[in-house]
Amino acid sequence: MSTSARLATLVIFVFAVFVAVPVLIGLTHRTDFYYTLSSVALLAIASGGVWLTFYIGRINIGQGAYALMGGYVSAILVVRYGVSFWITLPLAGAFCAAASVLIGLPILRLRGVYFAMVTLVLTEVVRLLALALPITNGAKGMVSLPPPGPISLFGLTLVPSFDTFAERNEAFYYLSVAVMCVCFAALYRLVHSRVGRLFVALQQNEELASSMGLNVPALRVLAYSISSFFGGIGGAIFAAIAQSVYPSSFTVADSVNFMLNCFLGGLGFVFGPMLGTLVLYFGWDLLFQAGQYQLLIYSGVMIALMLVLPNGLLSIRPLNFRKRVRPLIWRRS
Amino acid sequence: MARTTLPFRTALFGFASAAAIALNSGPADAANKTLNVGFVGVTSGPAAAWGTSNVRSMQTLAAWLNEKGGVKIGEDDYKINVVTFDDQKDPKRAIAGMEKMAQEGIHYVVGPNVDDGAAAVRPVAEKSGIIYFPYAFPKELYTKPASNAILGMVANYQSAPAIYKYLKEKRGVKTVAFVAANESDPLSQRDGGVAAAKALGLTVVADRDTYENDTRDFTPVLTPIVKLKPDLLVLSGVAPANAPLLIRSARELGYQGLISTETAQDAKVLEEGAGDLANGFISVGGASTPEIRSKTMEEFIDRYTKMFNEYNDESNTKVYALEYIVDTLKANPKAIDNVEEYKKTIDTFSAPNLYLKGENVLRYVGMTSFGQKRQIAVPLVVNEYKDGKFQTLFVADVD
Amino acid sequence: MEQVVANGLYLGAQYALIALGLTLIFALMNVLNFAHGQMYVLGGFVTYELYGQMHLPFVVALAASAVTLAVLGGLIERFLFRTVIRRSKREESTMLLAAGVAYFLDALILLLFGEKQRGVPKIVSGVWVSDNLIMPYDRILVGFLAVLFIAAFILMMRYTKPGRAMRALAQDRVAAQLMGVPVEFYSLVGFALGALLAGLVGGLLVAITGVNAGIGGPISIKAFMMVMIGGAGVISGAIAGGFILGMLESVGLSVLHSYGDVTYLVIFAALMAFLSVRPNGLMGKPWG
Repeated sequence: MSTSARLATLVIFVFAVFVAVPVLIGLTHRTDFYYTLSSVALLAIASGGVWLTFYIGRINIGQGAYALMGGYVSAILVVRYGVSFWITLPLAGAFCAAASVLIGLPILRLRGVYFAMVTLVLTEVVRLLALALPITNGAKGMVSLPPPGPISLFGLTLVPSFDTFAERNEAFYYLSVAVMCVCFAALYRLVHSRVGRLFVALQQNEELASSMGLNVPALRVLAYSISSFFGGIGGAIFAAIAQSVYPSSFTVADSVNFMLNCFLGGLGFVFGPMLGTLVLYFGWDLLFQAGQYQLLIYSGVMIALMLVLPNGLLSIRPLNFRKRVRPLIWRRS
Repeated sequence: MARTTLPFRTALFGFASAAAIALNSGPADAANKTLNVGFVGVTSGPAAAWGTSNVRSMQTLAAWLNEKGGVKIGEDDYKINVVTFDDQKDPKRAIAGMEKMAQEGIHYVVGPNVDDGAAAVRPVAEKSGIIYFPYAFPKELYTKPASNAILGMVANYQSAPAIYKYLKEKRGVKTVAFVAANESDPLSQRDGGVAAAKALGLTVVADRDTYENDTRDFTPVLTPIVKLKPDLLVLSGVAPANAPLLIRSARELGYQGLISTETAQDAKVLEEGAGDLANGFISVGGASTPEIRSKTMEEFIDRYTKMFNEYNDESNTKVYALEYIVDTLKANPKAIDNVEEYKKTIDTFSAPNLYLKGENVLRYVGMTSFGQKRQIAVPLVVNEYKDGKFQTLFVADVD
Repeated sequence: MEQVVANGLYLGAQYALIALGLTLIFALMNVLNFAHGQMYVLGGFVTYELYGQMHLPFVVALAASAVTLAVLGGLIERFLFRTVIRRSKREESTMLLAAGVAYFLDALILLLFGEKQRGVPKIVSGVWVSDNLIMPYDRILVGFLAVLFIAAFILMMRYTKPGRAMRALAQDRVAAQLMGVPVEFYSLVGFALGALLAGLVGGLLVAITGVNAGIGGPISIKAFMMVMIGGAGVISGAIAGGFILGMLESVGLSVLHSYGDVTYLVIFAALMAFLSVRPNGLMGKPWG
């Protein structure tokens, strides 16, 4: 795409999420969509992190661990120490990033399904920790979190307290999509930077990359910690919107879903996870009238999509002239 | 596989009708008003049994009432329509489900089935004016300042003391061991049970043993506990799927004492899963036993069985929530779209309980546990399993 | 202690049989079959219907479970996985398909067989009791059968023509093709065989633990763990992984009994530490 076309797409997208969607919701009175779409935005942020680990060639089924961690960090700081939600948000992300450096250093040496499995186990470990640690309030979870307060700078209120909104979820919607836009913009910028090209080198062949003088372990940990940062941010806002967090808030099923979102959207596209999350999460909601056949229809559609568009939904766009070759990357050598 | 052909056909039929519903979701009959009642809970995955028995109870009762021409609330006749949402036991989805109910203009919702889901939907329910009937025990849901949740069953901190007291006095139980799944609900119930046992002066010999909920072989879990030879083994918050497996493993390891739980179980599941080994297993049920069940209840069971091929004993308790909603609305028609009116009616509401033999009333209780009436009165029936059936040990009331 | 070891061995035998089918499919096609647990459940329900409800002999029911799943597995490979593998750019895309199949089977099983836990009459009654050890006869029999099936599978892979072809396929797909092995056909056979094993163990274990519609996902995850411990795509690794996890659970639950809540935390943390030290499991091929 040309630069102007790209800019136009961006403007249309921003207009759509910040103006068109709220106006449509206002017209149709479907205020329940504020929560659903906020969820989509937050889950998309976490999925975006997973996508980045795919980008360096790792199948990550452990994002639920960091989302849960982020939720708890924010909730504990808010409830036990009275810290403002707005400060806990970056702290939650930073905590997850720091944790992921410690965890990532040993486990990023693993590849393929081994890495996938160890991250899956990580999700379970964090859930069990949340149940066992005294600070997390164990099985009862952290409940009744206050909604985010105002942000003021030099006496000027930049963001009003969420309590003042008639429809609190509308405020959360703006927050969620704003953070989502920032995160995906950052992701896009990262992928198209020099570091991004190094990540591709990692994806294709780590040995080769290493022999060319790249610090492969550092690059891997960098990508993984950014990924976990996204997970932590998503989890923290989710705790705020739900006003609660439990050991079961993010489980293995969520970790698997984050990964599936990436597959469905398309691993080759930065915005794949966003679209994948929208279809998978929103699709389930839309099918709720199918009652007991909900799961059957949902999974049937999923299989059909996979058969028709195995490279993700975004691969359908007409600009995709790439030759259909089966690359040797990702095959067992 | 003769037994499976029928469900398969209904599945196909349902598929078609589901498609039809998706196309035309408006109220079908304009002449009759429709009362939408919601359900938010789990109907797929490992815990599907809990929500499924809820949904089917509601659908059976709704179909029955509609067949009789609907219910008369105030001046109007209403058909009852059950709107269901599967939250997959995920608190995030439960919130989405509750939002959906609010969007549909529904004010009365049954569920969620688990502690965290019930706690998660609280802000939405309070904001949107929804009364909901969780099957979850955290007291914060029902004590002030919370006011929109009404407990749909007997909580384990209400039943456990009664059961342990009975077993202590009648069966000479002195030592108790607890085992629970490593998840929120069972762990909370275990802690409640341990406290109740200690309060009665029983010796608790094991209170830390847990298992993963997806365990299929419980022998390793139970081996160290059986060695302690407790008089009573309590399976805290045990899922119906796991109960027969735990019982069978314990008995096959040579455990001689009593086994009990404070959750509702299904006799058929116990019979298939543990056979004779389940004899003597003590659990809690609704109006389950033939001794106290009325003709109406029997007809309900018949209709349920016709609709879904097989009854689930858990529905003995779960039939009540919708009945309470309908009867309370009948008592105060203004509550149909105003939950504050409903809350006013709660304190004085009383209606005959048709599911039990003799003179019984439907009323709201919970003063002792919650300081306000936020629980429906269902008889606390303690059962003992014997040869494929539940036998009533004793019946008690909760206030 | 004898009891703990016996529990571990029995658990290990059934785990190993569960892991075999998963690792076979992975070895041949590089597909992490998320639907393995659902296939196990389906096998369990076939045995439940035939043996438990229609009172046919247990062996017949077991065979029916195996055949049903083999056919289903073959169909799934032929019409779903083969198409997607051919069309997709990145091989892991099959994970989404596998997850879709898993959900689909979950939904189908729930609709067909209901939400309840099911069980069948005991295949043999009675309990073997000695001073330190208690073992019901049906567990002994099932454990023995599991070991027998594992042995038969190993012999088949080692000494028959399809077995050799599949091993060649697992080793090097391209080379096998160049040597004239009909790769597509044996992928189909392998997938069917993997599904057959899942159905077989599902049917077998109905006799002990029953079956219910919701356990497919958790079973898959447990099977993944065993495969990882032993090393992905290696038959002996799956067997070792199964027995190790069985022992770990049995011993762990006994030793850590007084700490209760943390048993699985310790097991999982140990598993992560172990894999960090040995990134390919016990005997896995590099890169998984």
